[in-house]
Amino acid sequence: MPPFRAGLLKRKIQAENTKDSSAKDEKGNPFDSNEELFRGDLDDAADATDSEREEEEDAGSDHETEGVMFGDDADSTLGDEDEAEGSDESSELTDSEADDESEENDDDEEDDDDSEGHEESSDEEESVDSGAESGPGLTHSSDESEKKIEKQTPKAKTESKKSQKQKTDKQTTKSSIDQLADKIKETSVNIRPVEQKDEYESGDTSDEEERRNTVGDVPMWWYNEYPHVGYDLDGRRIMRPPQRDQIDEFLKKCEDPDFWRTVRDPQTGQDVTLSKDDLELLRRIREGHVPDPNHDEYQPWVEWFSREVLATPVRAFPEHKRSFLPSRSEQLQIAKIVHALKMGWTKTRKQIADERRKKREKNFYNLWGSSTNEEEEKLRGIHKHIPAPKRPLPSHAESYNPPPEYLLDSKEMKEWNKLAETPWKRKYTFLPQKFGALRAVPAYERFIRERFLRCLDLYLAPRAIKMRLTISPEDLVPKLPSPRDLQPFPTQQVLQFKGHEGVVRSVDFDPSGQYVVSGSDDGTVKVWETSTGRCLRSIRLGESVCRVGWGPAPGLSLVAAAVGNRLLLLNPGADIGAHRVAERTDRLLEEPPPAHDVAMDDRTKSCVTWDHVKPEEWAIGVRIAVTHFKPLVHLAWHGRGDYICCTVRDGASRAVSVHQISRRRSQLPFRKSKGLVQCALFHPTKPLLFVATQRAVRVYDLVKQELVRKLLTGAQWVSALQVHPKGDNLLVASYDRKCMWFDLELSSKPYQTLRLHGKAVRSVAFHPRYPLFATAGDDPYIVVSHGMVYNDLLQNPLLVPLKQLPSGEARDALHTLDVRFHPAQPWLLAACADHTLRLYS
Amino acid sequence: MATDLAEVQLQVRFVTKQEQYAVPDSPYAIQSNVQSSDLNTLVNALLKETNAGIEKAVEFDFLVCGELLCTTLAEHLQEKGASTEETLDIEYLERFPAPAPQDCLMHDDWVSAVQAHGSWILTGSYDNSIHIWSYKGQHKLAIPGHTSPVKAVSWVTFNGDKAVFVSGSHDQSAMLWVWDVSNNSVDCVVTCRSHDKGVECISVSADALKFATGSWDTNICLWSTSLSNEDNVPAKKRSKPDQGNTREPLSTLKGHREAVSGVQWMDFNTLLSSGWDHLLKLWDCELGGIKQEIAGNKAFFDVDWSPLNSSIIAASADRHIRLYDPRSTESIVKTTFTSHTGWVQSVRWSKTRDTLFLSAGYDGQVKLWETRSPRTPLYDLSGHEDKVLCCDWSNPSLLLSGSCDNTLRIFKAKHAVGNA
Repeated sequence: MPPFRAGLLKRKIQAENTKDSSAKDEKGNPFDSNEELFRGDLDDAADATDSEREEEEDAGSDHETEGVMFGDDADSTLGDEDEAEGSDESSELTDSEADDESEENDDDEEDDDDSEGHEESSDEEESVDSGAESGPGLTHSSDESEKKIEKQTPKAKTESKKSQKQKTDKQTTKSSIDQLADKIKETSVNIRPVEQKDEYESGDTSDEEERRNTVGDVPMWWYNEYPHVGYDLDGRRIMRPPQRDQIDEFLKKCEDPDFWRTVRDPQTGQDVTLSKDDLELLRRIREGHVPDPNHDEYQPWVEWFSREVLATPVRAFPEHKRSFLPSRSEQLQIAKIVHALKMGWTKTRKQIADERRKKREKNFYNLWGSSTNEEEEKLRGIHKHIPAPKRPLPSHAESYNPPPEYLLDSKEMKEWNKLAETPWKRKYTFLPQKFGALRAVPAYERFIRERFLRCLDLYLAPRAIKMRLTISPEDLVPKLPSPRDLQPFPTQQVLQFKGHEGVVRSVDFDPSGQYVVSGSDDGTVKVWETSTGRCLRSIRLGESVCRVGWGPAPGLSLVAAAVGNRLLLLNPGADIGAHRVAERTDRLLEEPPPAHDVAMDDRTKSCVTWDHVKPEEWAIGVRIAVTHFKPLVHLAWHGRGDYICCTVRDGASRAVSVHQISRRRSQLPFRKSKGLVQCALFHPTKPLLFVATQRAVRVYDLVKQELVRKLLTGAQWVSALQVHPKGDNLLVASYDRKCMWFDLELSSKPYQTLRLHGKAVRSVAFHPRYPLFATAGDDPYIVVSHGMVYNDLLQNPLLVPLKQLPSGEARDALHTLDVRFHPAQPWLLAACADHTLRLYS
Repeated sequence: MATDLAEVQLQVRFVTKQEQYAVPDSPYAIQSNVQSSDLNTLVNALLKETNAGIEKAVEFDFLVCGELLCTTLAEHLQEKGASTEETLDIEYLERFPAPAPQDCLMHDDWVSAVQAHGSWILTGSYDNSIHIWSYKGQHKLAIPGHTSPVKAVSWVTFNGDKAVFVSGSHDQSAMLWVWDVSNNSVDCVVTCRSHDKGVECISVSADALKFATGSWDTNICLWSTSLSNEDNVPAKKRSKPDQGNTREPLSTLKGHREAVSGVQWMDFNTLLSSGWDHLLKLWDCELGGIKQEIAGNKAFFDVDWSPLNSSIIAASADRHIRLYDPRSTESIVKTTFTSHTGWVQSVRWSKTRDTLFLSAGYDGQVKLWETRSPRTPLYDLSGHEDKVLCCDWSNPSLLLSGSCDNTLRIFKAKHAVGNA
């Protein structure tokens, strides 16, 4: 390159010289050249990607700027504007030279064709010739030119040298002045098309250029004989630019630094200086690269379509609908695999690997291990292993070489021998012996025998685990709540009501709980104040009082007392209870109701008579007296207080009678005797009558006059009966020490039989409000129990014995004859055989 | 453990609120197994050193951890769970002197009600009569008039020679009497009839203008104490040819579901009542409504309120006396006093000492209590041979109790005007 550079520099100097001379000419339109510069740049930018041909055609204007760039490279000291001017000048020069050449070198086209390749590749001189002759190749098609270039590149330089000499000879012959004058003309001519180009700037320049010569695709040498090369659009001849002869060529070659890249356009016959881009393009074509210089063959590969799922789609169109639907066939396949995995037909890779690893591992079992791990024992074939008892560790005496003190001396030996009959009494089970070394120890002579016996033992006496049933008595007892949680209930005696002189047979509270009435064997009925135990009233009735009952009617103050054969209704007195009530009671009972209202049949009349109360009896409080045919044993008020149910002893079918006080009327509800009636009482709410015979309790409907049900107590002799205040439960006491709780909803058999007493039970009582009941009898104690009845039909009553309360002293084997709860407080009153009443709270 | 504690030396400091008995405020080391008598000797010795003015020995009570010391100090601390490491503050106060039995007044029947005023004692008896006694035991009058046992008596006013008192009986009436002291004549001025059942209790308000009666018919009636009849008896009733005057109640408070067993005035407008329905009720008398209810779990037999400490003590159907604070919204029992062996029938606060009260029980015992000693009463005033039905401490120097053994026993509090 250095020689080439040197040549370039030389030419530059020449160009500067010419520049000075041509400066005057150029001053006429400097604007044009500037425009050209601009245009070139713009074209370059706009048409960079266009076809090669266009590039080449643009080259005519482009090369000027390229020249600037080139000059800039060569001589950096020069200013830009100077350079531009210089380049303008040079372009003019080339143009003029090309014109000259075209004029001169009309004849030898083929030679020129050959030489063209040389010019471009290497030599400046050759380019003068080739400039004219390479034109048609270029104009025809880029393909052709490429082929030509490919053909011509390997041509020898010798040829080019020959032609070089000829050209230089021709060039020298021409006078430079003429040339200049020509050139000036040419430039003016040449400028025009450039201006035309300007007009078509926006349009397709290639089309415009094509139209310039309308000869079409004909060999241009047809026009060699003519002064024109073709016709323009208007049909005018396009004149051939003046041809240069060899000398001109040579001169031009020497003067023009761009000669080497100047080719002749065969269609116009004008010289075209190839721009730097054109050269680059040619170079790239020749080297077999992609012609576009901007094309980067080695740009990094971007994998747009990878397996990575991107947030935004690479492509502009949305996913196909199909991609949202699960694939049916895939689903089937997967289902198959899953099923196989489930059934164990196939295994996952991990499972297979695990199995393989396990198989590869060595499988040991702990032969000597003493652990009782069940799995391990199964491994060893032991099921339900019973470990042998641990034996004590061998002592010193068992050593083969024991210390001498462990050996038996003569005295011990004697004792040893003495115990030969009873060897288990010996100190040792063996005889300690001393050997100097282990090898001196003889074999154990009984080894075989003992092993044999052991085997026999295992064979004949196999061991087994004995299953033992362990049921403690506590487990059989039902779980009951603690009495502490079931408070309140009476826990201790607080008061003794003293005053009776005989066994107290019966007690009752008044409906408010303020007073207590009691009937005793001493023939008195006494009324007491509950809170103090003060006897307020004592009514002497002569005969033993076996039952008392305070009438439940709130408007009446009446106490019923069963005295011998008579049922007496007493008014306890004005100072007991409310005055008005007492007065009203007296007023009501003073006069019997009209006789026609009182109609009783003969059967009833035969056993019940309503007496007239004598004045002396009236004075002590008796208001009504009803005489029965046999002694009374029991009486019970109806809940409303108008009826009293009386039971007489051995009355057979007439044992039970019901008296209506308001009408002074009696009824015998039963015609047939069902047994020895013990007591009869009303249901608290329904029209039912409970009748207890010796063994059974019968429930009668008083409205329908029929037997509703019969409760089998299972007891030998029923002593007392009490209905729960809610009416669905019944407590029956018997002389054979039992109490039976009947749930009328459940069955006719006792729901529970309570054996709380050791002797006959004589009395039972329910508390009207609290879930309490008490039983008492010939025992020295009263039992208070919790008897919870639930409103929920599904829940059975809960019975919990709570407390044994000490009763009074025994009189004639009797202890407690009656118990009764306070109507409001959790207090219990007991009628005791020791002539007292006891209040428990 | 107890033996260990007996050996422990305790650091104690004696403090008191009674300035005349103050001792130096320096800690002393004492054995932990001392009793209150030992402490008493110690404090007396200290007093003698510091205060020469006190000649004779004073009896003290000792408060440890807010409770009266009754056992040895060690046991007391163990019970309280108090530390024996720290210096213990023992507060001491002059012991309430033991009441001395003064008299026993014989009645014909059970003594069911008693009240003293000044030197006069009013008693009600089961023989339907009311008696007036002087505090020296002189029987002044026996007043028949009721037809049933007298259950409650109360003095209303003393106006020179004219004394007014009221009595309630099981004959469903309350009677207002005027007693001319000089003439020793008594006159039933008004008979109050409204209750349907027996009158159980009577309480006269502090201004002596009203009294309240509680009855078995579950009602409480408020009555005027005015002796003249015009202002509060309707005209048509007056025309009734009845012996004496009958009076209608000012108002009737209905709310209890069982018998009303005790009434007490708290102030001119507030009435406290106890009932067998397990409730204590505070009534607003003007509005006639219930201000507050305190629920117990046993029937109440008596109640008393002390203006000194605004606390309620109530006797119920068990062996315990319970202390309630009406100011607390929940019916929480503050203290339970347990020493009686039978039902406690009557309780009365001291009128002068805010920590003392009297109780009478069916075990025949009258007990003098200190509120800070819930297990042990200060004194057992024994003597009765049967159930004690009533007690009274209206006169601070007289402790009265009436019993089923037909006696009224008088104990004299020695110097009743306490310094606390």
